[in-house]
Amino acid sequence: MSAAGWESAITVAELVHGGPLGEAVLLGPRDGGGEVRDVRIADRLEVLASITPHTAVVLTGAAAEGGWAVEMALRRAWEQAAACVVAPAAAVSADSTGSLAVRLGVPLLVVSEDPLITAVRIATAAARPAAARTQLVARCAQELARAGTSARRVVGVLNAELAGASVALVDAAGTVLAGSRAGLAGPPLAEVAVPGPGGEELARLRAAGPPRSPGWPAVVAAVLELAVAPLTAWAARARLAAAREAAFGSALLDRLLRDPGDEGALRDAAALGWAVHGPLVAYVLRPVPPLAPEDLARHTPGVAASFDRPLVRHEDGWAGWCPPDPGLDAALRALPGRLPAPCSAGLSGVADGVAGLGGALADARAASVVAGSAGTLVRADEVGPAQLLAALPVDTLAAPARAVLAPLLAADRDGVLIATLAAVLDTGSPTAAAERLGVHRNTVAARLDRVRALGFDLEEPAQRLALHLACRVLREERGQ
Amino acid sequence: MTGGGVEDDPRDRAGDAARANAVGAGELGFLAAGSRVFAPGAADSSFRAAREWARGLLTANGPVPLVDAGELPPDAMVAAVSLVGSTTAFGEYLPGGDEPVRAVRALEGRLGERIAAVVPLNTAAENALLPLVAAASLGVPLVDGDGTGRVFPLLEQTTFALGGVTPAPLALAGPLGDVVVVDSAAQRVEELVRPLVLAAGGWVVAACYPARAGKLAESLVPGSVSRLVAAGRPGAPRAVAAPYGVRVLCSGRVTAVEQGPEPGPGRRLPSRPASILVREHGGLARLIRLEAYNEILMALADGAVAATAPDQICLISTADGTVVDVDRAAAGMDVEVVVLRAAPAWHTGAGRALGGPQVFGLGVPG
Repeated sequence: MSAAGWESAITVAELVHGGPLGEAVLLGPRDGGGEVRDVRIADRLEVLASITPHTAVVLTGAAAEGGWAVEMALRRAWEQAAACVVAPAAAVSADSTGSLAVRLGVPLLVVSEDPLITAVRIATAAARPAAARTQLVARCAQELARAGTSARRVVGVLNAELAGASVALVDAAGTVLAGSRAGLAGPPLAEVAVPGPGGEELARLRAAGPPRSPGWPAVVAAVLELAVAPLTAWAARARLAAAREAAFGSALLDRLLRDPGDEGALRDAAALGWAVHGPLVAYVLRPVPPLAPEDLARHTPGVAASFDRPLVRHEDGWAGWCPPDPGLDAALRALPGRLPAPCSAGLSGVADGVAGLGGALADARAASVVAGSAGTLVRADEVGPAQLLAALPVDTLAAPARAVLAPLLAADRDGVLIATLAAVLDTGSPTAAAERLGVHRNTVAARLDRVRALGFDLEEPAQRLALHLACRVLREERGQ
Repeated sequence: MTGGGVEDDPRDRAGDAARANAVGAGELGFLAAGSRVFAPGAADSSFRAAREWARGLLTANGPVPLVDAGELPPDAMVAAVSLVGSTTAFGEYLPGGDEPVRAVRALEGRLGERIAAVVPLNTAAENALLPLVAAASLGVPLVDGDGTGRVFPLLEQTTFALGGVTPAPLALAGPLGDVVVVDSAAQRVEELVRPLVLAAGGWVVAACYPARAGKLAESLVPGSVSRLVAAGRPGAPRAVAAPYGVRVLCSGRVTAVEQGPEPGPGRRLPSRPASILVREHGGLARLIRLEAYNEILMALADGAVAATAPDQICLISTADGTVVDVDRAAAGMDVEVVVLRAAPAWHTGAGRALGGPQVFGLGVPG
């Protein structure tokens, strides 16, 4: 902010909008007129014959006797290039006199107080423009202090005090968080960054409007700067409250799972509006790909806010529950687009009260794992073996599978041994396997002997499952 | 002097300002029409009542001789006759018929001598007809002239006063039979008469400004009656009724009418001030502001003085050419603002002091 701007002559608009004549009504040209360098009290219309340009003419006595006198004064003011005419409210009819002020382009300030007091105010501001501007900034500081740390109130103060300018708090995406959309229109008068509690840029405070004087943008910038600290404090407070709430919800869920009969926990849950009695269903959101714990914590308030049913942090994702509800499916399916991180979703079957909640959550979580990709919802009561197998993380298991089957892979140059092994495990008998493979049963028996010779025991349950999984993974991996 | 001779007057054919030498039932229609060229009230019942009153008398008594003040013996006593008060009240509270005679007789009683002729105080609408009624009732001639050349709201605002004639003694006769004689200093007359008029029923016929014909001849606006007869003839241009010049200030639309505050106890004005705002059609599209107290006293165009009393400023409806009464002007009317130059007596220092806008508190800087 340049000292030169602060010292430049005060303008009519500055006198009225948040200036020493804040109570006055400005009629006449919309852009508010030019500089005020002097003030003259006119008790007779003859006085107007001798005023110099850029003078504010304050009408009293015979010069303010009625609309006609004010109109004659406006005319003379226009001829003398006066800055503005100030008239008592009793002498002015807004319609007709205002129209002439517009027509002549002479600002007409209508005041309710004694015009002589107005004259003194103007004289002071005209003589020391920087002091007048500082006064506005000081008043803004006072009002901002009163507004506290509410973004809406802070931006409201700015819009009220910087009359004529439109102020908006805008985030990086261009969304107006508070204030007037008009603050985005046109080139900014002034703009300041509002840092979040961590110092990152949270939003920008932007003021737009006509540049009324060389000093005005500097004044606006100074006032916007005053608002930065309360806005940062607002962001910090909002985050703190959200984080606290999230941590509380998560801890409460843990208490309920540990002891479904914990009366204190049940009471707290009821206070949050959580269902604790009767049939209920649980749902789980699982981030895909998984998130680090600190990212889970950071997103928790956003996730909780994006759903109209309870959601708290639980294990590697978010969980919640509610009474069975036909709308729940649709609500969960509509959710992914609103979440701050991509998630898959799982929904449990109906459980009986908080006592069944642990199981329901486990089912829902399993279903969310089965769902696999982001944006997919799976209901636990619809999960079958095929879906479970389809959900196997092939990428993760491919290397162990090859290790388990390493001797077989080394010996099995044309792949018939693996295929035979998989067919036998899938079908459960050499006869059925021979049929699937289209070979004689004795051929299957001979190949199984070779597999056993390589050290694999199909009769041993633990080995049999591992072999079956490994075959499945390799076949998936090969796209068979 | 015959009523039928007017049309044959050779000066009519010469295109000169028509000069009648009598007003009969035939001229009455022209006089009535001429009296409204620059005065409102064409459709008012009060105007029709005055016209029918005059018609009845002229039909019964014959034409009233019209004379120049100079034709009378210089020491002949002449009185001005005028309606004072509300024309609305006049239209509703119809005259008994003897008001002019009662007023003049009362004045004669105070003066101790007879009136030789009657002169109009002004010639706007009813006030052009009532002196004719008085002359016809009394059987005296009517002086061709008047005391203002236009209308002013105050009794003392006359060229008679400018010429040194005082309004008092004056006599008032009202429709309830009251007769009041007022004899006071000129500047007290208005104050005394206003409450009397209200008490008498809202209107009275006043016989006032008694003067010798010789004195009167020096101070009256001459020829007004015959001029109105000429102006009221079908096809006569409007300007005939404005011998000292007329100009159109603007043609536009009334955008607002603002009523001023009630006059305080210190003000001796008969009505509330009003402002009529007109936006000019085409041209510069100026904003015209008309300040009125009964009459329009000042016209501002974009805040600059465009016309003031004593010149007469009137609004003429574009729709039908009639004069719009200040009280009836309303937003949306299309009007012409017309300025009639006042008689020369008004364009003197004394004339402006008596008839200028400052009389009504409208100070116009030099």
